[in-house]
Amino acid sequence: MSPVDQSSSNALAELSSKLSDAVERAASYIVAIHARRRIPSSGVVWRDGIIVSASHTVRRDGTVRVTRPDGSDVEATVVGRDAATDLVVLSSDGLAVAPAPRAEPRASAVGSLVLAVGRPGRSVSASFGIVSAIAEGWRSETGKRIDGLLRLDLAVYDGFSGGPLVAPSGAVVGINNSAFARGTAAALSAPTVDSVIDELLSRGHIRRPFIGVGVHPVALGPVARRYGLPHDVALIVVSLAEGEPADTAGIQLGDLLVGIAGRPLARPSDLLDALSTVADGDSVDVTVLRGGTQQTIRVTPRDRGGQAE
Amino acid sequence: MSILETSFEHRFSADASSLTDLLTRAVVEVHTARGGGAGIIWGGGLIVTNAHCVPRGATLRVDSGGRMHDADVIAYSGDHDLALLHAPGVSGPLLELRDARSLRPGEIVFAHGHPLGMSHALAMGAIHGVANDPRTGELRFVVADVRLAPGNSGGALVDAHGRLVGINSMVVGGLGVAIPAIVAQGFVTRATSLRAA
Repeated sequence: MSPVDQSSSNALAELSSKLSDAVERAASYIVAIHARRRIPSSGVVWRDGIIVSASHTVRRDGTVRVTRPDGSDVEATVVGRDAATDLVVLSSDGLAVAPAPRAEPRASAVGSLVLAVGRPGRSVSASFGIVSAIAEGWRSETGKRIDGLLRLDLAVYDGFSGGPLVAPSGAVVGINNSAFARGTAAALSAPTVDSVIDELLSRGHIRRPFIGVGVHPVALGPVARRYGLPHDVALIVVSLAEGEPADTAGIQLGDLLVGIAGRPLARPSDLLDALSTVADGDSVDVTVLRGGTQQTIRVTPRDRGGQAE
Repeated sequence: MSILETSFEHRFSADASSLTDLLTRAVVEVHTARGGGAGIIWGGGLIVTNAHCVPRGATLRVDSGGRMHDADVIAYSGDHDLALLHAPGVSGPLLELRDARSLRPGEIVFAHGHPLGMSHALAMGAIHGVANDPRTGELRFVVADVRLAPGNSGGALVDAHGRLVGINSMVVGGLGVAIPAIVAQGFVTRATSLRAA
């Protein structure tokens, strides 16, 4: 005699079979990528013929072997990588695996039940937990601003990075990566992954507009009032790359950058954010304070995204 | 009964607490001078635990439902880190066994034991996978994403129906590792037939 209801109306069993069904559904869009020693890495079929994974787990470029959910192998080619989001995109004409359905936005709210699923070999592995926080405006080592980084309360295991974060429906919430926050569990949300993929597919790299200045915040004190500035901090130019856009536009060492495109500059990240919104080939007005006069200098950023950091 | 009490989360909590009631009667505490752990009642005064919970030569006491019993080790399996204890007078519900090969990754499981001295604690997690012996291909471990601590050793890993899938034995890379219940059953069968012979 057991006090636990053995029928399927037991709530524990109900949730249990929902979650294992979700893993089974997710398994249908997870591939194993053979591009490193030891164990293969997990990848997600994101669009027709397109696989997404964590860049640090895919150690080779060019053509790599991929094991499909049915156990058969197919070749794929590395199309592009983004150092900031640690995403890699591969394409495979003969993939013939249906892409992952997207979970509704509500599935990534803090507190939502989620599963991390990987394919570190032939079969899939899973761990289970909740979305514990959403980090907005998180900045990677390369200075790129990333919105929608999900911090997770679940176990990280071999093959975790590059696999999908899965909602109880079996749909994909994001791409898991343990490299963002010192080995703890995190995932890039699906909309962020989509925007990175769009750029990688169209250019092979992520655009990173660059003007060639090194800046440091400085307090302006009474100077701010004298020039009627909205804040009392500006960025001082402490280094200038020769021949790069800022240099050729006439910006000099020691210039105080107080604004860009009409918005104030108080932190170096304000400059990065403003530059990232400038379209290819467009220029942007930088407000400069030099020798007691305020002037506007027009700068045309250059895309440095394809270069090694 | 109000409509709130029949909502999914209330049914879930109620089912989890009746599962705890079952496991509290089916799992014992094993005490030795050098530590101990948990043990699972196997019927006929037999208890299965981890070999590392009951070092050779140690004096054993088993706490079942708040009553202390003397116990002896009657067999060890070094291969599987299992030990079979005999404690006459210990009885409780026998957990139904489930073959771990039927587990699906993502299924909910519960670990029951005495982590860090906390008696009869329940932890919830999910099946990560099963591991086979690379040489023989035989089922070797059940791996679960469930939080274990010292004191969980020898305790029960059960599925959502309260069926025993494994004996919690160690933590590897943050994941709980259990000896499959059917492996433990094989060990008990061999040990008791040797004893009868």
